[in-house]
Amino acid sequence: MPTKDLTIAMIGSGGDGVVTMGEMLAQAAARDGLNVIKTEAYGPQIRGGETSCVVRISSEKIYAQGDAVDILAVFNWADFGRFKGEVVLHPNAAVLFEEADAAAPTPADLGLGEGHSWVPVPFLKLATESTGTKAAKNIVSLGLFAELFGLPNESIRAAVEKKFTKKKAAVLEANLKGFDAGVAFAKALPGDLGARRLLYTKGSPKLLMSGNEASAVAAIHAGCRFFGGYPITPSSEVLHFLSEWMPKVGGSVIQTEDELSALGSCVGASFAGVKSMTSTSGPGLSLMTEMLGLASMAEIPTVVLDVQRGGPSTGLPTKSEQSDIWQAVFGGHGDQLRAVVAPTDVADCFHATVDAFNIAEEYQLPVIILSDQGIGQSRSTVDEEGLVHKVVDRAIPDPALGDKYLRYQDTESGVAPMSSPGMKGLMYQTNGLEHSESGSPSAMYLTHEKMNHKRYRKLRPIRDKYERFLQFGPEKANVGILCWGSSAGPVREAVAAANARGESVSAFVPQLIYPFPKHPFLKFLAGCDKLLVLEISFAAQFYKYIRTFMTLPDDRTILFKRSGGKNLTVGEVNDEIRKALAAKLPLEVKK
Amino acid sequence: MSATLEMPTFQPADYKTDLKPVWCAGCGDFGVLTGVYRAMAELQFKPWETVVISGIGCSSRLPGYVATYGFNSVHGRALPIATGVKVARPELNVVAVGGDGDGLAIGGNHFMHACRRNLDLCYILMDNEIYGLTKGQAAPTTPSGDKTKSTYYGNPEPSVDPCELAISMGATWVARGFSGDLKGTVDLLVKGMSHKGFAFLNIMSPCVTWRGDDQFKTLKAKLRNLPEGHDPTSRSEALKFTRETDIMTVGLLYEVKQPSLVERLSAQKVTSLRGGAPPTTQDVIKSFYPAF
Repeated sequence: MPTKDLTIAMIGSGGDGVVTMGEMLAQAAARDGLNVIKTEAYGPQIRGGETSCVVRISSEKIYAQGDAVDILAVFNWADFGRFKGEVVLHPNAAVLFEEADAAAPTPADLGLGEGHSWVPVPFLKLATESTGTKAAKNIVSLGLFAELFGLPNESIRAAVEKKFTKKKAAVLEANLKGFDAGVAFAKALPGDLGARRLLYTKGSPKLLMSGNEASAVAAIHAGCRFFGGYPITPSSEVLHFLSEWMPKVGGSVIQTEDELSALGSCVGASFAGVKSMTSTSGPGLSLMTEMLGLASMAEIPTVVLDVQRGGPSTGLPTKSEQSDIWQAVFGGHGDQLRAVVAPTDVADCFHATVDAFNIAEEYQLPVIILSDQGIGQSRSTVDEEGLVHKVVDRAIPDPALGDKYLRYQDTESGVAPMSSPGMKGLMYQTNGLEHSESGSPSAMYLTHEKMNHKRYRKLRPIRDKYERFLQFGPEKANVGILCWGSSAGPVREAVAAANARGESVSAFVPQLIYPFPKHPFLKFLAGCDKLLVLEISFAAQFYKYIRTFMTLPDDRTILFKRSGGKNLTVGEVNDEIRKALAAKLPLEVKK
Repeated sequence: MSATLEMPTFQPADYKTDLKPVWCAGCGDFGVLTGVYRAMAELQFKPWETVVISGIGCSSRLPGYVATYGFNSVHGRALPIATGVKVARPELNVVAVGGDGDGLAIGGNHFMHACRRNLDLCYILMDNEIYGLTKGQAAPTTPSGDKTKSTYYGNPEPSVDPCELAISMGATWVARGFSGDLKGTVDLLVKGMSHKGFAFLNIMSPCVTWRGDDQFKTLKAKLRNLPEGHDPTSRSEALKFTRETDIMTVGLLYEVKQPSLVERLSAQKVTSLRGGAPPTTQDVIKSFYPAF
């Protein structure tokens, strides 16, 4: 029986072209109007080591990477072994592997069931014979896949043409031969792999972008015209993209000497009246903590995108984790104010980023976007119509104020209009020292207390105006899931599946993390018998963060947390839902 | 027809704020501050189009005393902030100021890269060879062997010459001055603030509190002017006047013309468009459709 939803995994070493292959597959599917989510994973060496690329293609809306692989291509079994526990096969998966690799396991080793297909393929030989180079293994595989699994053959061929069109004619010709050799090999294969053929009707093309790219586009949309960045995995794509596009819109990008300078330059640009942003990951955010304090004290709007990876220290640079929440919300000395938002998928990176700018500019404080590798570097199809978001600009003082202008006036909202260089008569000298309403340094207790009040007064209006959250499932439910960030996708699919089975499950996903949308969450909590908190942080940072400002009902709260290194899967959420549904109330509370 | 004689619009006093400097009586930084007022007046900098930026330290308090836009930021970070200001708003006059600890120790990395980028701003390093604000610890410019609060048995480390560092890292205008010589200081400030590219001015600015009353006298005795005929475009000639021990040569050591970062970035803004119109958000979004 053909399927509407197919997950394809490709595994090899650097140079096997796994990433290019996945990208061409994803592009071709997007061109034919299919829905795609593509994720990549690498070893810690970032370049040259083992690589896996998983592409999920579906004719229906999808929210998570596929967690059970239907089709697996292995160029090298040793590399496959390095993704143990990360690339999980469907029992009926089709496994196509390099015939020449003697290290093949048995189907039983991989936990395959009766319906599986086990197909040795002479990738190397086919590539060498058809194209003259083994480098075309990936192109041969594309032909093979297209034919076997009903993938958009014509579009994949077009993708191959596009990829090699700038090379010599002979190179293009050779690669097309490789593609055809794959097709021919597939046609000659005995047995029926047709159960995994993708069924779809061609639609209009969709955008294909990564979360990092969606954030970068959003920055341009929000009016950001200065980006100061320092390379770090897994966020560098933002720097790359903006280095191309920012000059075109009249803005500037500089690659600084470190993250202190990256955020420092953003603080400077914003002080000068230009919206600014930097992007980083956990280790970079640690260095930026100093500047977050300055931006908080001097009340300077700026945006920091943290694409989380496994930590602490260098940790797992190429893999996702949700363990920067404490650093984002609490990191830094003194009582400092910032806001934190968290996107839930690729398209939401666009909205979260524009929101971050809006909050920063309206309330004059640094805003952190907590994305993660799972959405930052995964590419997914996005509907163009959805990429619309209102932009807010900072308040500018009335030039007539002249000498009466107080940069840090203690207003009811906590916000005083902000002048910038070039505005005559509205000059001020700011600093990281505590200061009076005019900006003059002061170490007086009374001033400090008053100005802390002023700054913290912004929190509630931010919460009320920018409170964003997702809710899935019925209002009243036996199990209510609380999660955040990239966990939203698998949770959404698992909840939908559970509801379809008639199970009473719902979910709440805050997209504004700090300040927290407490009231809608309390309403949600009141509607569920049990609360299931899900997160990818060994120390349960999210769960514990929530408990800093409210109590959770211990005798009806279940916590599922684990380390990062692997994105949350629909299967895991299903398991936790099943256990939670079966749990008897009141739950035993650990002492 | 007679030429119209116009009075300059801005006088040195126009750049003064109401804030009274916190510096000790006799501090060398007073001379620099006066020099800044005079240089800005001579250049007729519009106060509202001028930004003075600093890090932390005694000398870093200076922006608070200058009636322009000002930013007294955090320790060592004057140059990152200034870089953002100047890159974002190239039309502004940007002056960064600070001390030797701020600029060469905690901010040393930024200093090297600011020199290398050749960004259009003037960086004034007020060098008293000591940490003053934290009460007398050794700085990167403290001479080897000197006893300070943090070097009880004498400074065990060799010191750095900021001008040598600036020249070797690619600054395109490098000078040394002495805050006790107001005329010379103003002259160098005017030139430095007019330079297209990164102008680095190392002003010896004595600390009477932690280096003793005689630091003025010692420095003054060591002062030499650059020899006549010095070729400031020669890097090797300029470097001859660095790492001096018994004498201290002041003046414009090094000056070359190189495209500044602002010029390079501005040119890229033009070339990136390839003659077309700037893209809208929709254009940027549409670039993500599969292009085949």
